[in-house]
Amino acid sequence: MAETGAPELLPGTIQEAEEKPRSDLEPGYLVICWNDPVNYMQYVTHVFQIVFGWARPKAEFHMRQVHEQGKSVLARESLEKAEHYVHQLQKYSLHATMERDE
Amino acid sequence: MKLIRSTKDQFQFRLGRREKQALLHLLKLYPCLPAAHQPLSKGGGSPVPETDQGLLDEALAEQRRENRRRLQALLADPGRFQEQESGWRFSLSPAEVEWLLQVLNDIRVGSWVLLGSPERRLAPLDEKTIPHYWAMELSGQFQIEFLEAMQGGD
Repeated sequence: MAETGAPELLPGTIQEAEEKPRSDLEPGYLVICWNDPVNYMQYVTHVFQIVFGWARPKAEFHMRQVHEQGKSVLARESLEKAEHYVHQLQKYSLHATMERDE
Repeated sequence: MKLIRSTKDQFQFRLGRREKQALLHLLKLYPCLPAAHQPLSKGGGSPVPETDQGLLDEALAEQRRENRRRLQALLADPGRFQEQESGWRFSLSPAEVEWLLQVLNDIRVGSWVLLGSPERRLAPLDEKTIPHYWAMELSGQFQIEFLEAMQGGD
């Protein structure tokens, strides 16, 4: 959770958002994926690639974080975008939620 | 199920006769995951607006209805499965494979929920739970075949 402001945790496809000062994104919402014992690691990696447009190494990094640490913060976004991502992840039946970044 | 051919526009899989029967039976279980199974937020910190949870639930429900319609159309398409000497040839576009992955994972996760969402070890199976276990495992096997086909095309 602490590194949510770090650039590598933002979706690589949203270049514009990465360049904005943090204050422009306030209030921010964290998109979180939670571990579960049923989704295959290979599947989770694939979904991250599709939903966020990430290259496989970045998707695998977050998949491993989910698997080993119980969750991974995938993005910090506006309310609308965070809802969009959570919806996309839940369409794939992943355990994803959004929480306000306070 | 084995991938026998892939192009930019199409995947072709070979299915044995029993595999086809099993796949069709499995897909009839969709949707399996209970509606509103997942909250938008776990509730830590400031909650997200309730209206947003309602909108998400409705969007997911509409998605499932659309998937169900699409699934029925796909299974009724006579050109989708072509009979061959050793079984069936099953043709799908890359977008259809991607979509079937979602459908199969709904069945897999839904079956897991019906088994009581076990964290580690399953309770001993009985007549009631064996069908859920079968659906969870089989949907996973088809998912892996589809994922490997797609990754081979990267």
